[in-house]
Amino acid sequence: MTSSRRRFLKQLASGSAVMSLGARVPAFLTMAAAAEVTPQSDAILVVVQLTGGNDGLNTVIPYRDDEYYKARPKLAMPAEDVARINDQFGFHPAARGLADLLQAGKLAVVQGVGYPQPNRSHFESMDVWHTCRRKGGPRTTGWLGRFLDDMSPTPGRDAPAIHVGSEKQPLALAADAVRVPSLASPEEFRLESNDRQLGNLIDEVGFHEAPHADALLEYLTSSTTSAFSASKRITEALGSDDSPVKYPETELAARLKTIAQLIDAGLSTRIYYVELDGFDTHSQQAAAHAALLRQYAGAMSAFMEDVAHRGHGDRVLTASFSEFGRRVAENASAGTDHGAAAPVFLCGAHVRPGLTGEHPSLVDLDDGDLKHHTDFRQVYATLLERWLQAASSPILGGRFEPVDVLSA
Amino acid sequence: MPSAPTMIDPVWAWQPFSPTANEPWDRTLVAHLFRRAAFGATPSQLEAAVAEAPEAVVDRLLQTAEESSSFRDESDALAATLLSTGEPRQLAAWWAYVMLNTPHPLLERMTLFWHGHFAVSAAKVTDAALLLEQNRTFRRAALGEFRPLVHTVARDPAMLLYLDSATNRKARPNENFARELMELFCLGEGHYSEKDVQELARCFTGWEIKQGKFRFNRFQHDGGEKTLLGRSGVFPDGEAIDWILDQPQAAVFIVGKLYREFVCDEPAPDPQLLQPLADEFRKNDMQIAPVVRRVLTSRLFYSAHSRARKVRSPVDAAIGLLRTFEGTANTHRLAADLQQNGQGLFFPPNVKGWEGGRAWINSATILGRANMAARLVGDEKMRFGGGTLGEYFARHGAVAPDQVVDLAATLLLASPLPAKRRDGLIDVSRNSKDPARRAADVLRALATLPEFQLC
Repeated sequence: MTSSRRRFLKQLASGSAVMSLGARVPAFLTMAAAAEVTPQSDAILVVVQLTGGNDGLNTVIPYRDDEYYKARPKLAMPAEDVARINDQFGFHPAARGLADLLQAGKLAVVQGVGYPQPNRSHFESMDVWHTCRRKGGPRTTGWLGRFLDDMSPTPGRDAPAIHVGSEKQPLALAADAVRVPSLASPEEFRLESNDRQLGNLIDEVGFHEAPHADALLEYLTSSTTSAFSASKRITEALGSDDSPVKYPETELAARLKTIAQLIDAGLSTRIYYVELDGFDTHSQQAAAHAALLRQYAGAMSAFMEDVAHRGHGDRVLTASFSEFGRRVAENASAGTDHGAAAPVFLCGAHVRPGLTGEHPSLVDLDDGDLKHHTDFRQVYATLLERWLQAASSPILGGRFEPVDVLSA
Repeated sequence: MPSAPTMIDPVWAWQPFSPTANEPWDRTLVAHLFRRAAFGATPSQLEAAVAEAPEAVVDRLLQTAEESSSFRDESDALAATLLSTGEPRQLAAWWAYVMLNTPHPLLERMTLFWHGHFAVSAAKVTDAALLLEQNRTFRRAALGEFRPLVHTVARDPAMLLYLDSATNRKARPNENFARELMELFCLGEGHYSEKDVQELARCFTGWEIKQGKFRFNRFQHDGGEKTLLGRSGVFPDGEAIDWILDQPQAAVFIVGKLYREFVCDEPAPDPQLLQPLADEFRKNDMQIAPVVRRVLTSRLFYSAHSRARKVRSPVDAAIGLLRTFEGTANTHRLAADLQQNGQGLFFPPNVKGWEGGRAWINSATILGRANMAARLVGDEKMRFGGGTLGEYFARHGAVAPDQVVDLAATLLLASPLPAKRRDGLIDVSRNSKDPARRAADVLRALATLPEFQLC
């Protein structure tokens, strides 16, 4: 595809050849055009994973609470520096972009999110968030992967989800039947030797060979086939870029920009996933955490502006989480150790802006950590039922009451 | 998805493999051993090893535990030159060079194994000299004893900086190192409590780094009584480490990781299957070489439970491809390619190291591996056994298209090449009349196939 879907649809609408074209439009374009008139079915969720355990307490700051200043002699943010949300809470000054999004009515903060008997291992807790399952049982699929399996995407169409990043793919996207492509950057996502024969060699066996008896080889075969077809499609889709929105020069911003381009290019992809790593601030936290929040908030506000500018503001929602928050009291290294409850951030035109739920108490603690009052699966239930229009119970393994955080 | 665990008889599994008429010691099995333990076999190594007994071949791979001095001198000299820039990415190029040229590939594989086990990233620890010193520690201990290795790592400057132990003070202990010591280095998640983490962190208070060296600061050390894993005491020096390693789970945890490294990615082994290995590991004072030897000479290792049951890592894919054909490489470029494909040397993704298995594979790395292979075999400046790739294949009797494809498949593939793919590769080889180009085309295409990603 040489032009974006938007441009293509404009051409379709204005051109007199619309009727005669119909029959010759490639299948994915006609399907994309059909999707345009049923907006609820093309809602897009962008998940932003803040890896390492974001210090929620220094992100949404209770700047009137003496306990905060007692627990954080070195790390507490002075009340006059916070970007105020209301007369009690404010954002870390480096997260000014979040305050701007809030002002524009596009940011909701769900406070005190966690789960019972929190695990303080990065890997275990991340697995819990990704799979909604505790250690011990099988954990081969993630919550988004199960959503993808349930929507049973049509083979040959665009990937139903795309992971943008060079890290290993998050378990949240692991599905039984669907392979999610990872895309580090558009430039790296193509074969350097433009070898059609190679593509054929892969296609040949991909299509004609009977399914392999061997699970590992089968996995590799389907991964290879889907990599080749996704590469072809995405290289074509990213042909042009005409947004005037300027992103900060950070890795997260570059990745979110790629996502904006893919959305605008008309991919039917419903889920995008990006990661920002580095939140494990055990030592000398102040500068590192500020830089991370600056990167996060700056990239988010540019992205939201860009998708709105490109005309997709109504159908894009982002959700940001971390595997846990951090301990209330700082440690001797001017850092914080692994904690529990933390806020989740939702951005989009359809959020109920502001704070949802109480900020967890700084005195009623669980072994030094903030207590959660909202289960993360309630947030997932909200996203699945009220945004992606999917039944949440089978995916989450039980009934979780959605949080009232999205508007019509 | 991983299949359900199959019950494997532990007694049968760890008995020595002895060839029979039905299961001969042939090129297939030798190639399997060398792919897993030695970054692949050259055609000559393959022929030589087929003529020996399996145990003799494994013993020779293991004998290299003591690194020969001439290669060490060469690699040290190279490291010293690169270190002058102080840039960790130079170190990655150096290590790729060592992997490519070492006479002791099993030692190097194990060095990489420990790097992944005690993962420290140059993204945080930027002092290349400290990283090199840690790398030498891993190489010295790679096939030695586990207990002293843990003690050394607990005082290793790169590790202490990475896990913030260097600023672990009495008044407010930093739990990072203590947690990972139990979760990732010695016991595994779920084999300790949160209280144990806090108590262990107290044991390591005052373990500092001063001018790049370990220093015990008694003023910052908490010398009070602690209760760790059910035992109370002061735990001076590294006594806490010994107590952790005395837990039966420690041996199970380490042999479990060695099992996954050498036997298969999935399914996870039944605990009963690991028990004989864990017992042997404890009985031998946690020496690593005897366990590796047991695994590499076992019936299980040469059975269908192990063969083609691992996903090639980027290092296995690249170094394996080159070593098999005695190829040279621009190792700066190679190190960058490894990073691109998810295995940046000195840049593991986090303290858990590389997850391996299916996690190596996604669309980006599938394309990245194809691009990497194209660069490795397509660079006309590089030499294979001293000549061109075409000359190399010809010297080993492969000239016609089908011969080129078959030799490459025998050496590189862990699972049989489907007939359709073989036909496709022969077609690819007909693109060029030039023998070097022809062989390069075949290798590039072969390295793109799903079958190649198995090891």
